[in-house]
Amino acid sequence: MKQFNKFFSKIVFAAITLCLVIACSDDFNLNNLDETLFVRHKNADMAAYIRGNGSEKVFLITLHGGPGGNGLGFTGKAFDDIENQYGVVYFDQRGSGNSQGHYSEDDVSIDLMAEDVLALVKVMKHKFGSDSRFFLLGGSWGGTLGTATLLKDQSDFKGWIEVDGANNPAGLYDLYIETFTTTANTQIALGNSVNFWESVLELVSQVDPVNNLDDFLELNRKAFEAEEKLSDDGFIDSVENGIGGNETFFAYNYLTDLWNNSQISSILDNQGLFQTTDFTSQLPEITIPSLFISGKYDMVVPIASAQNAFENIGSTSKELLIFDRSGHGPMFSEPDRFAAEVLLFMDEHK
Amino acid sequence: MLFTLLFIKAGYGQNEEEEKNRTSILCQTFLDKTEFKIGYSGTILWSNGIAIGAEYLWKEIEKTKERRNTQRTNTHQFLFNGNLGFATNFATKTDTGGFVNFGITWRRTNKKGKQFSIDLNPLGYYRSFLPETYEVNGDKVDKVFLPGRGYYSPSLSIGIGKQRKGKVRSGSYFGVTLSPRFNYNAGTLPTFSLQYGFRFNFKNKKQ
Repeated sequence: MKQFNKFFSKIVFAAITLCLVIACSDDFNLNNLDETLFVRHKNADMAAYIRGNGSEKVFLITLHGGPGGNGLGFTGKAFDDIENQYGVVYFDQRGSGNSQGHYSEDDVSIDLMAEDVLALVKVMKHKFGSDSRFFLLGGSWGGTLGTATLLKDQSDFKGWIEVDGANNPAGLYDLYIETFTTTANTQIALGNSVNFWESVLELVSQVDPVNNLDDFLELNRKAFEAEEKLSDDGFIDSVENGIGGNETFFAYNYLTDLWNNSQISSILDNQGLFQTTDFTSQLPEITIPSLFISGKYDMVVPIASAQNAFENIGSTSKELLIFDRSGHGPMFSEPDRFAAEVLLFMDEHK
Repeated sequence: MLFTLLFIKAGYGQNEEEEKNRTSILCQTFLDKTEFKIGYSGTILWSNGIAIGAEYLWKEIEKTKERRNTQRTNTHQFLFNGNLGFATNFATKTDTGGFVNFGITWRRTNKKGKQFSIDLNPLGYYRSFLPETYEVNGDKVDKVFLPGRGYYSPSLSIGIGKQRKGKVRSGSYFGVTLSPRFNYNAGTLPTFSLQYGFRFNFKNKKQ
């Protein structure tokens, strides 16, 4: 019996030791990364999901839309292709997705969120080495945040990819009125979803000509509906083929994600994100190679926003690509072309 | 508020209904009056875990009502309860945490042993456990030891159950719990979870 107890104790000891070793292990396979880590910065713990092929230590840091979206929301066919060649970092911004912390509403600002992104870069360098190279990609609101980040410090980035990005959120109000009117008249002339487009024209005629949050949110909602109509009428390719599986659904508690989304978006909305924020005059300060991608039928951040950024950015190496079969999600509606263009840009500037 | 109403109902209801206090519980030992429980705790889709706890019987009132010429006797109990649990999401390990809470339970048991209960646990604490975490202060990056955050997390549960009188496995329960986490990001995060498990009274006769 004594011998059995001794043997049993040894087994338990070995098992505990093995568990501790596995738990404390920092080993990772650079060729096939699948790491989740948190960045603690100024009272927030923010999740970063590092995936893909990091063998060259070239990483694409992605900034999701919203405000209040989630990092893994980008995953799908296009980013699977990008992951095959480079490391991709999906980042849950402050107050979004699985990020948590203790801070007050007054602490939150675009400036602080830009510092969070720079903190992520520092952590990546700490973990993967200071010879790591980074590209920054921002989609929609991520375009606003990415622009703010680069204006703070662009020295760590090899290139900037703005996808349907809003670097002038305050200007979206006028862009909505202009784009809605043009698109509605075109679609009515073509006889497509006439009743819907007439309701768009009616909304445009009813909103206050001076930018205000309530009317902005109404126009923003209509923009998403408009894209659905354009998809139904065959102008935008279905996003279903480009969206990933159930991974995102199981990675985020739906209620937590929803609550975080409503909190952070209302905080930034109330700070005047869509009334006062405009980086146009500072865009010449950004000089790293830049790629702007916009869907031809993007109603949420109309194509004129990308054209404005392209014209004003200070980079000598810059390109504007219009995806003819896309709305506000070219990575989902035209995933193959999206991945190919992003990889071409990264190959050229890494 | 809820418990004030329950106490008022328990107190003033006595005038309207035939009722007798069970004095026998006074001479029961601590273990007689304590049930232990173990069960599932989580949201199924996003986090799954286990919770253990104990319930100590504080007051028990038997009420008999006359309905459609038949007498129905229900037992109303007030119990002190404490719970300790742990849940994780296996997908990304970003929603892992442990909780502990204490409070009071009101439970009604009918003649067939079917139970309805409400738990209010004003003393609650949730501690998240994060995976690999690095803290950034200026240009300094440090790995955090045992990363995570603590939140004040009281809870309110509503549930049903089944009593097995005189058995060691003395019952089962199923409930929905609301446990807000206070000062989560810039506000209060409401979280919901399901609880399903079994109660045990080790002083009961073995099955």
